[in-house]
Amino acid sequence: MKRVIVITGATSGIGFAAAKEFIKRGAAVIGTGRSRESCGKAAEKNRDITYIAADLSSQKQVRDAAAKISLLADSRYRGKIDVLVNNAGTFSGWYQATEDGYELQFAVNHLAPFLLTNLLLPELRASGKGKIITISSGSHYHTKINWKDPMNRKRYNCLKAYKQSKLANVLFSYELNRRFSEQFNIRAYAVDPGLVNTGIGEKRTGGLVKWFWGIRRKHGISPEKAAETIIYLAQRDLEDNTFEHLIDAPVEKNWIYWKECRPKEPGRYSKDGAAALRLWELSERLCGMAEQRETAAFKDPETENPDLSGTRSVIKIDSEAAV
Amino acid sequence: MKSFVLITGAAGGLGKAFALECAERGWDLFLTDRDNSTLEKLAEGINRLYNIHIVYKTCDLTDDFSRRKLWEYMEENRLKFHFLINVAGLDYEGMFNERSTAELDTIIRLNINAAVVMTNRIIRYRDYARTFRIINVSSLAAYYPMPVKATYAASKRFILDFSFAIREELKNDDVTVTALCPGGMPSNEEVMRSIERQGFFGRLTTRNVGYVASNTIDSALKGKKLYIPGSFNVLLKVLGKLVPAGIIAMFIAMRWNHART
Repeated sequence: MKRVIVITGATSGIGFAAAKEFIKRGAAVIGTGRSRESCGKAAEKNRDITYIAADLSSQKQVRDAAAKISLLADSRYRGKIDVLVNNAGTFSGWYQATEDGYELQFAVNHLAPFLLTNLLLPELRASGKGKIITISSGSHYHTKINWKDPMNRKRYNCLKAYKQSKLANVLFSYELNRRFSEQFNIRAYAVDPGLVNTGIGEKRTGGLVKWFWGIRRKHGISPEKAAETIIYLAQRDLEDNTFEHLIDAPVEKNWIYWKECRPKEPGRYSKDGAAALRLWELSERLCGMAEQRETAAFKDPETENPDLSGTRSVIKIDSEAAV
Repeated sequence: MKSFVLITGAAGGLGKAFALECAERGWDLFLTDRDNSTLEKLAEGINRLYNIHIVYKTCDLTDDFSRRKLWEYMEENRLKFHFLINVAGLDYEGMFNERSTAELDTIIRLNINAAVVMTNRIIRYRDYARTFRIINVSSLAAYYPMPVKATYAASKRFILDFSFAIREELKNDDVTVTALCPGGMPSNEEVMRSIERQGFFGRLTTRNVGYVASNTIDSALKGKKLYIPGSFNVLLKVLGKLVPAGIIAMFIAMRWNHART
């Protein structure tokens, strides 16, 4: 049975490099890309990768993608996924609210992996030893979660928002292990790819940021090199096996954060259990995972007047007059 | 009795920022926009973030029938409002004679007609227990005749003058009117690209929508008549008043010609 790998943002950069490498090693790869066009182009370069188009800034599209991935896994791979690589990430020079009203970097870099991972948990469980690898970054050091305004809406600083989202990746990985490592034998890792020569600093920026990234990326390692750590954690089959025994070491050892195929000490704040729990609960709420509660608030306004007595409600009014 | 904040153009970049800002302040929202599916997702997202009521309804504000349906709904349910934020507005890229008649007509019907009609209507549905506040989104473009954005800039001038005038009329009725004149705002990816194309100057006149929305609400609560985000933009406004309009128009046209070649 082939190993089944799901990689988000697999049309370029680190994600594409990792996907190619997994294919080379005989695994089956399901990749996501932001648009049909980018998926099409990447599929031309490597016919073995199965692509699903999904803009991960949209919660609806994350859910749709998860449903499609589950369906694929069910029909082709007996409903199992061995490794989920949460690689897709973005950087935006400006504050942008997604269609759900969330800040773009927080939505794409943190909420999307959070939701996708949770939706694919049954398949990861079915693997027997599922692995969740989230691409974080060295920028997670020396920062905190801004609990007052996690979306950084009023005083948006693009670097701060990026750093926070990458810290969220590490906190998320810790919390995943705490919750599921013993119960489901699922392990989560956060990978620091280092400085990599990809287009992340150019796609949604311009001016100074774009110029600076244009210079900086040249000093970065190749995406193929950066993907090595992902392959290592997923397959454990690189020649150098110095740290291999730490990959599946007991959770208490906390070897969660990896860089250049070896474990590394993550930032102090990222090990704060209370923060990880708080982030998890916030993310659950923002992803509507505890939604059964008040869906009663959605009413058909054509038949009923809005009930404004509860504490929360969203009232939808359909309008046939919409042109 | 509950009363709402009405935001038009709520699914756009600035509209979303206003909606989030009002929600954070604990105000209940009535959102409208052209596209229903986007409103639905936005309402759901805001609802998860903040503890408020949200009502939303699709409405094409340039369409008479669609507008009438909106009033009917408000009257039937006896909705009350204490805040109106006229955000809905648009512009099409390109020279005047490259634009279709329908496009130009839409700019005027949405930017001018819809804002006036909306203001007129919603004041009737105001919540008399509270001060009624209006924010009209104009633009820094209102301060100059702008070649290439001729219709848009003129429509925004209309909004600016209209706001200042009704503000005086409504003063004694416990109504405040605030005009917002932003420079560049990265409200969607197309605008962002165009700001970046303008380079340093583009960045200088640009402020984040989250910041703008928050400060505009503060200004409205203080009863200010005008808010211009960013001190450089205030300077541009002052310059716009000092230099004759014809000369500014010539200068802007020169800049465009330069950018196009």
